[in-house]
Formats: sequence, C-alpha cells, structure tokens
Amino acid sequence: MSLFVKGIFLEQKKEPMLTRSTLVMRQEFEYFDCDFPDSAIDELSREQIIELARLAEIVDESDGKMLWEKLEKSPSGENVTLIVDAVDDEPYISSQMSVGIHQPEKLSLGTELCEKVLSPEKVYIAMYRHILDSNFGIPKKIGKYHVKKIGGLYPAESRVHRHLPKGKNSVIIGACAMLHLARAAEESRKMTTCFVTVAGDVVKNPRNVEVPIGTTAEKILELCGLTEEPEAIILGGSMTGRAIFEPENETVGPTTRGVIALSRSYGTYSYTCIGCGRCDHACPKALSVCMMRKFAENGKFDMLEKYDVDMCIGCGACSYVCPSRIDVSATLIKAKKQMELAKKEGNL
Amino acid sequence: MKERLMFQNAPHVRQSESVVTMMTDVIVALLPIYLIAFFYHGARSLVLGISGVLFCGLLSVLGAILLREKPAADLTPIITGLIIPLLLPADIPYYVLFSACAVAIFVVKIPFGGTGYNLFNPAAVGFASVAICWPELVFRYPATMQKIEVFGESTVKIAQSPAYSLSLGAIPDQNILDLLLGSAPGPMGATNILVVVACGIFLIVKKAINWIEPVSFILPYSVLCLLFPRIGGSPLEALCYELFSGALIFGAFFMLTEPVTSPKRDFGKLMAGVSSAIVVFLFRYFGKFEMGFASALILMNVFSPIFDSVCENVLHVLRHTDNISASIKAEIAAKKAAKTVSEPVVRPVKKTEEAEIAEVSEEIAEIEAIEVSEEVLEAENETTEETEKEEALAK
Repeated sequence: MSLFVKGIFLEQKKEPMLTRSTLVMRQEFEYFDCDFPDSAIDELSREQIIELARLAEIVDESDGKMLWEKLEKSPSGENVTLIVDAVDDEPYISSQMSVGIHQPEKLSLGTELCEKVLSPEKVYIAMYRHILDSNFGIPKKIGKYHVKKIGGLYPAESRVHRHLPKGKNSVIIGACAMLHLARAAEESRKMTTCFVTVAGDVVKNPRNVEVPIGTTAEKILELCGLTEEPEAIILGGSMTGRAIFEPENETVGPTTRGVIALSRSYGTYSYTCIGCGRCDHACPKALSVCMMRKFAENGKFDMLEKYDVDMCIGCGACSYVCPSRIDVSATLIKAKKQMELAKKEGNL
Repeated sequence: MKERLMFQNAPHVRQSESVVTMMTDVIVALLPIYLIAFFYHGARSLVLGISGVLFCGLLSVLGAILLREKPAADLTPIITGLIIPLLLPADIPYYVLFSACAVAIFVVKIPFGGTGYNLFNPAAVGFASVAICWPELVFRYPATMQKIEVFGESTVKIAQSPAYSLSLGAIPDQNILDLLLGSAPGPMGATNILVVVACGIFLIVKKAINWIEPVSFILPYSVLCLLFPRIGGSPLEALCYELFSGALIFGAFFMLTEPVTSPKRDFGKLMAGVSSAIVVFLFRYFGKFEMGFASALILMNVFSPIFDSVCENVLHVLRHTDNISASIKAEIAAKKAAKTVSEPVVRPVKKTEEAEIAEVSEEIAEIEAIEVSEEVLEAENETTEETEKEEALAK
C-alpha cells in the first residue's frame, strides 16, 4: 500500500515566523486554587497531574479534546508510545514548532508530567523536517526527549504514528497543551491563551503570537499590522482553514493555529475537469478522487460509498494540484456530510 | 477591510500550474514541428496549420453558441487544429483538412459535452474519418524539398512512403538517417523523428504529459517488432524502419497522452500503453491499411475507463488489506493455540467462555490475595526478626 500512497510537495513559507520569538499579547492571566499548592513538581502523583489539567481547563489543540479526559481514558503501560505533536506541515503555520524551539524547558516539563501519568514505553517529539526554503535546523533533543523528524510530502501529520509496529497504541498530545500543563504545574495558571501564527503576504510583521482565547481576528491582524487590504482572511491552516468575511466577529479558539491574510484569493475561475488524474496521484489515501468528484456532483452516494469516501481525511491535496482549479476536496467533504445526513434519516 | 473579502474554499494556496499553462506547453512543443515542415514543404504547411487552428476555433465557438453557452477561453481546439494537419500530407486539399476538423469538433467533442467529456481523441477520429473518405489523397505523400503551391491543386512529384513499402513487405528506399531527419516522404509533421522526440521530452520535463504512456507504448512495440519482423535483413534495421515510419512516435507523444481519453493512474496508463502497442502491431502486421495508429488509438480509448476501474478495484482491496491481514493473523494464532492444547479440542460456546474467563479471573484474584497476604506475613516476620536482633545488639 505504501507504494501507492503519495502526497504533494508544498513550499513551507515558515520564515520568518519560526525563528522570531513568540509575541505575547498584553492580558491578565487567570489562576486557579488547588488542594496541593506546596508539593514539588517531581512528587506529583498521577491523580494530581490529571487534577491539574482539569483545573487549568487545558484543551489539546491537535484534536480539540480536554487534556484531562484524554490522560484519564487513554491506554497506559508498556504498549503505549507517547507522541508530542509538533508537526506543522501546512504552509505558513508554525505555532506548535515555535513552542518546542523557543520554550523547550516548558515543553519537556509538560512531557515529563504526561509521561508520569501514562508511563509509556517510549516518548518522542514529532516535528516536520522538510522545510526546504529555510536554513533552520531542528534540534535533535528537547530536554531529555528525542525529536523524531517526520519528513516527506504533505500531509505528514497523518503519518506521525505510521512506523509504529502493529498492536502498539499511541497517544498523541499537542505541544501547546504540554506547555499549558507545565504552566499549570509551576504557576497554577489557567489555559486562557492559544498560540496563533499570523502570516500572509500582506502582514507587516509576521510572527507567532500568544493571544487570549476569544480575541477577534481583526485585533490579531492589527497587532501585527497590514501593508495593504487583504482579499482573503483565513482562520486556521492554509490548507484546511476557512475564509472569513467578518474579521471583527470571528474569534480564535483553542484549536486555531493561524490567521492568514492574503492579498489575492485564487478566485472562483475554473475550467471543466480534463481528467488528467493528478488528484488521484496526490491523494495520500490512494482514493480515486477524479471519479468520486463526478459521483458527488451527481449525487450518487451508493457509488461514493463503494469508492471508500469515508477514508477521505480532507487534507485538500487534490484541490491543490488540480490544474482546472476545481474545489475537489470541498465537493467531497460536502457530499460526505450529505451522506451522513441521509444515513441518519434512513434514506440510504 | 470587509468590502474586498472574497469567498474561497480550502485549501487557500494553489499550484501555479493550470490548464492554460499545460495547453500552452503543448502548443509551444508543436511549433518546432511546423518549422521543420516549413523547411521541407514550404509555406503551404504553415498555412495548413493556421487554417486548421482558425477553423477549429471557429467551430467550437459556433458549437457553444448552438448550445446557448458562453464560449469558454479554451485552448484545446487550437491543439486539435494543430495536430490534424501534422498527420496529413503537405499537399492535402483544404477541404479534406476542414472536414477532418469538422468531424473532430462537431462529432467527437461538442455532442458529448465539450472539453473534458469527449470519449475519443478528436484529432484521431478526424484523421481516421478523412482517411476512410479520401484514402487516395491522404496516403499520397509529396517528395520532400519541393515548393508546393500555397493554394490550389498541387502539381508536385509523388513519392512512396516507407510505411507503404513496409506494408508491402519491402525494404524502403530511404535509409534510416533520412527517416530520422524527416527527409523521407510521409505525414507532414510525423516524419522528423528527432524533432518530435525532442519536443516530447520537453513536454515530459515540463510535466505537461506523463512519461509512462510513450515509454510503455514504444518499448513493447519494439520488442514485438524484433520478434516478428515484417521485412528481411537485420532485425535492428527492421525495427528502426518500423518505429520511424508513419505517425507512430508522433502519436505516442502527442495523441496517446491526451489527458481526457487516457486512464488516470500510472498503472492504468501502463496497461493502456502496452495494449495499444499490441493492437497497433496487430493492425500493421495483418492489416493492409496504413493508418494503424489512429484506429488503434480510437479502439483503446474505449478501454481506458475499464483500466481505471481495474486500478480502483486493486486499490480497494489494498486499502482494506490491513484489516484483512490482521483478522487472518488472529485466526492463525487461535489455531496454533488450539493445537498446543493436548486435550481434544471442543469449541466452547461464547457464554461458557465468559464463564471460564470469570472463573480464571477469580482464581487469579484468589492467588494474588494469598500472595499478598504471604508477603505481608514475611515482611512482618522480617521486621520482628530485625527488631529482635537490634534489641539483642542493644543489650
């Protein structure tokens, strides 16, 4: 299967956000009270660490779940590998990697705490390696933890645990959640902030910023400055985020990784599909995207199911390579949602 | 800030290559072939090319108007109009060219829904139709290095093409260098092999076409020609004559690789290339007609959806192999476990299994409890012994 699995090569455009230090927006931090204020960090027990994560209301930014629930419910013991997710494989976005590079002590402390809870066999920090347009070198170790460099074509994030032997479980926790856990243990600080990359070709001062959750996109863009009026503002990653129209009302959440302002949208101009088959070759799950798009447009959900549409991860690689600029992945995701609705109503 | 914001779907970065750049690459690659045709046949070749492009463009606009659609800025009719004259001799009357273009646009393209929906390669069908209607005009090639009149009936010397000599089983008059340089009589653009191959390599490097189709067509075809030569002499010489005569190389680079009618995946392209090589060889070996390539291509276009579905079925199985292999492994492990037990194997019902598990777990719990109590006793004994020793020492 791995012979057929492909992806796309993307210009990462992570400079200068990655090497610049993180900007912290002026704010008031919130603190919580806990029953064990004076106990040293090394002596915290498993339950106490989970309690810390619960009190600090930490959300894992890689999947949007609460960290304490994840720590409590996920398997532990010898069969488990703990992976710290700092893989930023989308262009412009580097919020997770910058945490590992500019605040390594905090990240390693948070990882240590999670290691204590899960007692895994192996721990490593995963980072994306193929940033070809900058000379930035990824450190080999952060704290005492080995940094595993995930390479290859986009999307790399789904391949983080691919090399693990079968029958072994993996727990993936985001790097920012680790940082917040370390802060909760050291300063008993609540998670009120999130890390966001502000980038794009019209941003004056592109960099990673730490902003309170609930800040509007307009304020974040004002913080970094704009050189001209953008034609598209994107909340989230450049490959999977969504375009917004009201930047004064749209706020960032704990899972938002970036705010991107672009001078030109690629527009709605599109040709008909000429059937070149590039989408089929770009698909990381080896799906027949070209035929699936035709089925989705004609509403043939039974055929879509036969072509394994539920395996689609919505990475957007097919839309990226399409020479006719067709919104292939958007069409497929929409059809998937319609299918789920039809299944719920019992029509399918 | 708000007024300028536009709607767009994810992903928000897109590849710079588009249909326009791909088509432009193909057009640029076709121009040197016209220059060589101009060198050998004079201005008539250029006029043929320009008139083909204009007529195809005009017809597609007309078709869009008839269908009450907006005429799209589409470069595919230009490519069709450029390819058709290159397959024809340089002194072809204009009405033959125009009827080929008309068939290509009005029969193959527009009734099926325009660009992207045609079932067959338009240029191949256009050429095949005029080859059937006017074979005496289409397969009558002028000798090279003569000035052909730009308009009107041509009065130039006619020469026998190497493809015709091969179909008769005779060794062609021209040597292989003539074929490579294009001074042999034949279709206007397909005789100059070196230029055609160079243009094809340019297209492959620019990624406008995939390398798999031409390679998977030419290699099996040459193997077949080596095995079953049509003419006497050394097999290598026969192979060179077979490959370089007719529109074979030109078709392999410019017609077989047409994205709409070829399969989508690499493996499908491989299958299409190999099978069309076999069909072309059969047409040339047993057939008496000279245009083996175009008709074989039309035949193979029918099969490309089938090749696609074969690829999809194979991949569908491969996608689900992880689950299948896991379940097979589990079965094998269960069988091994059953074999190791010496007692006659009686398959317990699910309920009894659960009961057994419960019993076993109870036993384990009991054993653990006993162990724990023993440990506690031992620890107590040790502590008492130690305290006794200490007391003795103190005394």
